[in-house]
Amino acid sequence: MRRDPVKPFLAAWTVLVLLFLFAPLFVVALFSFNESAISRFPIRGFTLAWYQKLFANTALHEALWNSLIVAIATVAISTALGIGAAVGIHRYGGRYGGALRSFSLTPMMVPRLIIGIALLTFYNLFQTNLSLLTVIAGHVVMTLPYVILIASARLVGFDKSMEEAAWDLGAGTFTIFREVTLPFLKPAVIAAALMSFTLSFDEVVVTFFTTGNDNTLPMMIWSMLRFGITPEVNSIATLTIVASGAFALVAEMSLRRAQVGSTR
Amino acid sequence: MRPTIGTVLSFLAAPKLWLFVFFVLPMMTMVLYSFWRVADYQIVADFTLRNYEKIGGNLYVGVFLRTIRISIYVTVLSLLIGYPVAYFLARKVRRFKLTLLLLVILPLWTSYLVRTYAWMLILGTQGVINQSLMAVGLIEEPISWLLYSDFAVTIALVHIYMPYLILPLYAVLEKINPSILEAAWDLGGGRIRTFLSVILPLSLPGIATGCLFVFIPSMGAFVTPELLGGTRSIMIGSIIAQQFGVAYEYPFGSALALVLMGIIFATAAISLRYGKPKGLA
Repeated sequence: MRRDPVKPFLAAWTVLVLLFLFAPLFVVALFSFNESAISRFPIRGFTLAWYQKLFANTALHEALWNSLIVAIATVAISTALGIGAAVGIHRYGGRYGGALRSFSLTPMMVPRLIIGIALLTFYNLFQTNLSLLTVIAGHVVMTLPYVILIASARLVGFDKSMEEAAWDLGAGTFTIFREVTLPFLKPAVIAAALMSFTLSFDEVVVTFFTTGNDNTLPMMIWSMLRFGITPEVNSIATLTIVASGAFALVAEMSLRRAQVGSTR
Repeated sequence: MRPTIGTVLSFLAAPKLWLFVFFVLPMMTMVLYSFWRVADYQIVADFTLRNYEKIGGNLYVGVFLRTIRISIYVTVLSLLIGYPVAYFLARKVRRFKLTLLLLVILPLWTSYLVRTYAWMLILGTQGVINQSLMAVGLIEEPISWLLYSDFAVTIALVHIYMPYLILPLYAVLEKINPSILEAAWDLGGGRIRTFLSVILPLSLPGIATGCLFVFIPSMGAFVTPELLGGTRSIMIGSIIAQQFGVAYEYPFGSALALVLMGIIFATAAISLRYGKPKGLA
């Protein structure tokens, strides 16, 4: 190929866009160490006081606890259902496979707001008491498509003859699933679980419409942002950014190592 | 392998059942509610078209039009900004490709609420941009329209949803067979011509999917316009949410949500139909 005069411009543009994507996150982190109680740029001094205040805030502990309960339950349900669905579609979908997968992915094409209010009308119709359970049901709807997508992508590289060999050796369907399919899917399971956890842990809109009196962490951030911002918000926000980033890295590494392994 | 009905059901039925109960049924309930009405703070189940007639009024049509306009701005900006990035990642780098791709994906994992908030710190009168410009003496007093404006909502939505556009576009651009490009070269097509008549048409499916991934959540945005929008830049998401709050107008809110879904489905149908690769297909 000839030398490419466009490449440096595209490279520079990409760097600029990455800056645009990351700079705002760094701004939040920067403000979390601001000594002044007013979020004014440039920041003055350096302090960890807001983080200390955060750890002492008991209302926050409860919200964090609720968020963890919801996220863990969501991960358990949506990973189990999603992996099952992906394997099921892959194995038995046949010519309906495409249609089945499209149906499973539709919640991705519906704004979170609509998922939330549709559930609220549904709960209203059946006079359901709103609680963390009603929140979890909604979060599973939201995360299930992501699990199915990640698992299906991994299954594309799956050699069906491995399952057939196990079948010939006399293993039953569930034994095959446990001993052959699941180990192959492990990296996808890890990635999907981390993704569902993060999506659920950070979700505010679906929670907003489906929760009763229980507050979650994003709900607390939301009300802080609407009714008086305190510098503590910067610290919570920074901590969630760091946690999500770490989860993303682990998920990515898990999938990538598996890919290298299977092409070897 | 001959599966029994039982095993097929356990794999396929459980997830489908969950989606049916907590997604399909709620959507159907919403349709039902949109034809009901509220009397004395009670939802009354009798058939009426009043909710839809109410939407036809100037006020709500105006909000819908503004929402569509902002969503189009967000989508077009995301495409213009994101296309070169997707193109660069897919066809121009080799060594740092996976790292760069990871960097594009990484922000998607962080909370959209936090990313929205970041723009309050950047665009506010005390924020990064205004204070920096004042410090270097370019402006005397803070620019007030940076925050609480359509501008703020647009830039934050681009920031939040653009990576969703880059990913499908990247996938499509990466699959383009190099021999097709070589053929275009051999036939004497220049750089620009090759791009316009080969690469661009072939990437149409990626453009269509990517644009939908930005347009749809922008249309239904609620958190971002609520926190960054001005009093004159209300989007439909906020109006819908209000109906499910103290207003307790579930039927009217449901009707608004259905009109929104109608617009979204129509857009999706059109762009997926015209988003097929042309010319070389």
